[in-house]
Amino acid sequence: MKVMRCPLNGERNISEFTCLGEVSEPPAPDGASDEAWAAHLWNSNNTAGVVREWWCHVPTSYWFIAERNTVTDEILRTYAAAELFAKGNNE
Amino acid sequence: MDPAGQTRRSFVYRRLAEAGAVFGAVADVALAVHYGDPDAELETARRLGLADLSVLPRVGFKGAGAAKWLAAQGVSLPEVNGAAAQPDGALAARLGPDEVLLLGGLDGAAGLVGRLDEAWAEASTVEPRGYPVPRRETHAWFVVTGAQAADMFAKLCAVDLRPQSFANHRIAQTSVARANAIVIRADLAGTLAYHLLVDSATADYYLPVLLDAMSEFTGGLVGHQALQALLQ
Repeated sequence: MKVMRCPLNGERNISEFTCLGEVSEPPAPDGASDEAWAAHLWNSNNTAGVVREWWCHVPTSYWFIAERNTVTDEILRTYAAAELFAKGNNE
Repeated sequence: MDPAGQTRRSFVYRRLAEAGAVFGAVADVALAVHYGDPDAELETARRLGLADLSVLPRVGFKGAGAAKWLAAQGVSLPEVNGAAAQPDGALAARLGPDEVLLLGGLDGAAGLVGRLDEAWAEASTVEPRGYPVPRRETHAWFVVTGAQAADMFAKLCAVDLRPQSFANHRIAQTSVARANAIVIRADLAGTLAYHLLVDSATADYYLPVLLDAMSEFTGGLVGHQALQALLQ
């Protein structure tokens, strides 16, 4: 079975994880058009190549970031969301 | 003592009663103290035994500030996915940077868990301090003991729990028998032992699954008395 490394729990079978989709920047809350919001919520980029995704280790409900190549399905790196959203950046 | 007359019952007390459990009072709860032959159960516990501790005290705290608040209460905290024994026999299991599960001692006394419950109700200088998690209600608590415990887990769990690779007081939060579980290795006076905490709604699923997995090692249910005897 494919093995993924959870930043909190270490290496686990991929069946313990679920992918929550690409990390994307939401549009500015004031002034964004309905189309921009709809695109953010419902459309995905479907990039062929390296993407940054939200993943969750289900037994611990731990959300983290993974960088994955969608062509080869190779997981390049996993890390805590705090690394991407340093305090103050996401407020 | 009939557990049906108690306000706090194990999630699987009917199954335990069917297996011949004799319930007795341990602190203020009814536990399966033995299954008819305590001496044989002690031997089983050394080889491969399963006991249900679901009625015993435990509590959790999680959320930003929880670890800080617990430290201020005098709880010694290990690092993430580790457990630390407390002076009164309780075990603090750190499930995340700000998530701690506290298992009471086998004697069933309120001890540290009771003290933290009371302390939580009072105002605190540590804010934020997270929020309490009623682990006694949300999780069933089994303990798997004996030299062959790791062999049994190897059939149900992908994480290597063998004693040589999974040290005492290590924690694995993973899938066991295809459902989510917390496994904490906490040896009982030299006898290999793993606490297994599972969602209370899956307790009735886990008990027969564990017994089935244990059958090839001639393991089986053991009462609270056998666990206490292991500690002596």
